[in-house]
Amino acid sequence: MARKTVFTREFLLGAIVAAFILFLSLTTGFGSVSGVFSFMLDVSPTIVGAIALALIIFTGNIDISAGTILGFVGFVAAALARAGYAMYVFIPAAILTGMVLAGINGWISVTFRVPSIVVTLAMNMVHIGFYVTFLPNAGWVLNLSDSFTFLGTGRFFGVVPYIFVIAVAVAALFIWLVKYTRFGKALYAVGGNRQAAIYAGINPDRTVLTVYLVEGLLLGVAGILKATTANRLMPSVFQGREMVFIAAAVVGGVNIMGGSGKLLGAVFGAMLVYLLSITMIYMGFQDYFQFALQGVIIIIAVFITVTDFTPMRKRLRKMFAPGKPR
Amino acid sequence: MVTPDVGAVQPVDVVIRMHGINKSFPGVQALSNMSIDLRRGEVHAVCGENGAGKSTLMKLITGVYKPDSGAMELNGRPLVVHNPNDAYAKGIAIIFQETSLFPELTILENIFMGHELRRSPGNAGWLPSLLDYPAMRRKAREIFQRLGMEVDLNTRVAELSVAVRQMVEIAKALSFDSRILILDEPTAALTSNEVQTLFETIRKLRAHGVSMLYISHRLDEIFEIADRVTVIRDGEHVRTEDVRQVTRDQLVSWMVGRTLSNLYPKEEVPIGEVVFEARHISQERLINDVSFELRRGEILGVAGLAGAGRTELALALCGLSRPDSGEILLDGVRARIAHYRDAMNMGIYYISEDRQKYGLVVPMTVGENITFPLLGRLAGLLGIINTARERQISTTYIRQLSIKTPGPDFVVNNLSGGNQQKVSVAKALATEPRVLILDEPTRGVDVGAKSEIHRIISGLARDGKSIIMISSDLPEIMGMADRVIVMRNGAKQGELPRSELSQERILSMAL
Repeated sequence: MARKTVFTREFLLGAIVAAFILFLSLTTGFGSVSGVFSFMLDVSPTIVGAIALALIIFTGNIDISAGTILGFVGFVAAALARAGYAMYVFIPAAILTGMVLAGINGWISVTFRVPSIVVTLAMNMVHIGFYVTFLPNAGWVLNLSDSFTFLGTGRFFGVVPYIFVIAVAVAALFIWLVKYTRFGKALYAVGGNRQAAIYAGINPDRTVLTVYLVEGLLLGVAGILKATTANRLMPSVFQGREMVFIAAAVVGGVNIMGGSGKLLGAVFGAMLVYLLSITMIYMGFQDYFQFALQGVIIIIAVFITVTDFTPMRKRLRKMFAPGKPR
Repeated sequence: MVTPDVGAVQPVDVVIRMHGINKSFPGVQALSNMSIDLRRGEVHAVCGENGAGKSTLMKLITGVYKPDSGAMELNGRPLVVHNPNDAYAKGIAIIFQETSLFPELTILENIFMGHELRRSPGNAGWLPSLLDYPAMRRKAREIFQRLGMEVDLNTRVAELSVAVRQMVEIAKALSFDSRILILDEPTAALTSNEVQTLFETIRKLRAHGVSMLYISHRLDEIFEIADRVTVIRDGEHVRTEDVRQVTRDQLVSWMVGRTLSNLYPKEEVPIGEVVFEARHISQERLINDVSFELRRGEILGVAGLAGAGRTELALALCGLSRPDSGEILLDGVRARIAHYRDAMNMGIYYISEDRQKYGLVVPMTVGENITFPLLGRLAGLLGIINTARERQISTTYIRQLSIKTPGPDFVVNNLSGGNQQKVSVAKALATEPRVLILDEPTRGVDVGAKSEIHRIISGLARDGKSIIMISSDLPEIMGMADRVIVMRNGAKQGELPRSELSQERILSMAL
C-alpha cells in the first residue's frame, strides 16, 4: 500500500516559509499592508523565474543568460508600450522575445553539442554587448505611462498585487503540467538518465529544445511582471537575476545535477530567498554582506540536495544507540 | 498489438526474420551477412563472445541503430524501426543489460516512462492529454501480480536492490503488451531464486505465444530455458540449432572457434603457511561473525547468492567499510586497517565486481589506469609523475596479461569487457599485492577472456599470492578454488575443501 510521507522536503520548506513570515510579522513591520504588498510584488517575478530555471535544471541543463533575456523582454515590452501599443501587443511580443532568445540557447546547445552552461554563459555576454551597443540609450526606456505599469502596480483589495496572482496561477499550472503530462516526465528522464530516456523512446534533444522554449515563455512572463512594476526600464538591472532563480530552485530542493526536484519546492525556495534578504535588511546587514550570506545558503542547500544522508543517519543512530561501545 | 498475418509471404510461424544484415561502425564491421529468425512462441537464445555483435543485433531490432544493408521483416512484412519507441509500438520490447531505469523516480513512473497511459487521447488536439495515474497504478499492480511480486509502486528506484530493479525492468517491458521480448543478460544480477521466478515468467509468456530473444553468457541458462540457440562470432552467424541437439562443449567451441580443452586451467601449486586471517568479523545487518584463514598460494572461493554478504565481507576486510567488530591478522600479527590505503600498504588489494563504476576511470588511458595506485611512488620532486616509468610499468603488465590494446595510451572505454577486466587486474598487480580479493572477476566477460583471466589467477597463485575469489558462477568456483566458503545471510555457512566440492553441496549451503 502506498504510504504517504507527510514530512516531504516541500512540506518542510513550506513550514519554514510560514514560520519566517510569522516571525517577521511579529517582530517587525513586515506584517503591515505595505510590507505584505511589497513582499508579494518582489517575489512574483522570482517565482516565475525559479520555475523557468527549475524546468531547465530538471533536464540537467542551465541558463546563465536568463537575466539578460529578461532585460530584452523588458525592453521589447517597454519600447512597444512607449510607442503606444497596447497590452495585447506588447505582452505577446515580449513573451515571443523570451522564447526566441531561450530557443537560440537550446538550439545551439543541442545542435552543436555544446554544454548549456558554456552556451548560456557566452550568450549572457553577447546579450550585454548587444544591448549596450545597439539598443537606443542602451535599452533605457523612461517615462512609461499607466497603460504599461497598470499590471505591475495594480492590487486586489489594496493588498494583493495582480502580478502575485499571475505568478501563483502560473506556478499552479506548471506544477500540474509537470505531473500530468508526458513532457513533464520526460524532463526528469532526460536529466536523470539520458541513455535510458532514449531507450524509453524519448528524444532528449527535442525535450531539451522544448524546455528552453518553455523557459523562454516563462522568462517572458517574469520579465513583464518585473518590468511593469516601474515606470522606467533599464535592461542592466536584470543582469544576474538568473543567480537568484537558480538559488531559489536549488534551495527548493531541485537537484542541480538534474533528474529530481519539485516545482513546488522552487516556489517556496523563491519565497525563502526573499524572506532571507528581507530579514537581513531588518537586521541591518549591508548589501554586499547579504550577498555573501546568500552565497553560503546556496552552498548549504546544494549540499543538502546532493548528499545522500543515509550513511550519516546510520552513523548518528549508532553513535546514540545505548550500550554499544565503540 | 501485432496481429498474426496468416498467408503472407513468409511461413506463419516466423515473427522476425533478419537476412544478410550488414552494419559497420568507423573501423569496425560489427555485423556481416548476419541472419536470424525468431519463431512465434519460442525462446531463442543468442550467444557469442563479447564484441561478437549480439548487442548490435539487438539494437538494430529496436531501432537504436539502422542496418547498412540487408532485410528485416516482421510477420513477413518489411520492418523499419525508427527508434525504440517505434519498436515498442510495433510490439517489440527490450530489457537492457545495463538497467535503463531512473533512480530518482518511483517504480510507477519508471514502468510507464515514455509510454504513460493518458486519459481520452482524442481530446481538443492542441491540449496535452493528461496522464491517467489510476489506470497506470491498476495496470502496474496487475503486472506485478503476474510476476508474483509485491511492491510499493511509490518507492523510488534508488532504494531498491539490483535484483528488484531488474524485475521492475521486466515489468516495464511487460507493460507494453509486447509480443516480442528481447532479454539482454537478464539474470546477470539475479539470485538463483529470482532466476527461477524469471524463468517461470518466461515460460508463462512463451505459453501465451510471446517470442523471446534471450542473450546470455550463462550456458546453463540457455540449456534450461531456450528452445533454439544461435551462435554468432565476429559479427557473423555461425550456427542455429535446436537446444536439445547440442552440447555445452559444442556451443563453447562454436563461440570461440576452437575447442577449449580446459575452461578452468587450475594449476596444483604447493600451499604454504597462513598469510591472512579474519576473526569474527561482524557488521550490522550485513556480516555475521565470519572467520576464515587464507594460505600462501591458495585460492579461496567465496560462494553464495547475491545479497549473501560476500561483497560486504570483502569491503570490510580491506578497510573500504568499517566492521563493527572482529580482527584481521596478517602473518599472525594483528593488522590495523582503518582505510583502504592501510590495506594497500600491507599488500591487500580488492578488485571490484563493478569495474565501470569502482574499478576503472574509463575515459582515461590504459596506462594511467594501471598506475593509479602507484602515483605516490611514481611522483618525484614537486609531485611530478615520472611518465617514462609509468609507461614502462604499464607496458610490462599489458604484455604479462596480454591485454589487447594498441598501447598504454589507448582509452579504456574502447576496450572490450574482458580486456577492461584485465586492466583492473593489472592495476592490482602493479601494487604487488600478497593478498588479492577478486569480486566476480569474470562477470560480463566472454568465454575466451574468461579462461584467460582464470589462467592469470592460477599464475598468481603459483607465484605465491593468496587469492580470495568471490563468484556467483558455480563452475568457476569449483574449477578454480582450493577451498570454498559458502555464505548465506551474512554468515559463513560452511567450508568445503576442493575434494568435497559439488554444485549440490554448495547450493544446499547457500540456499
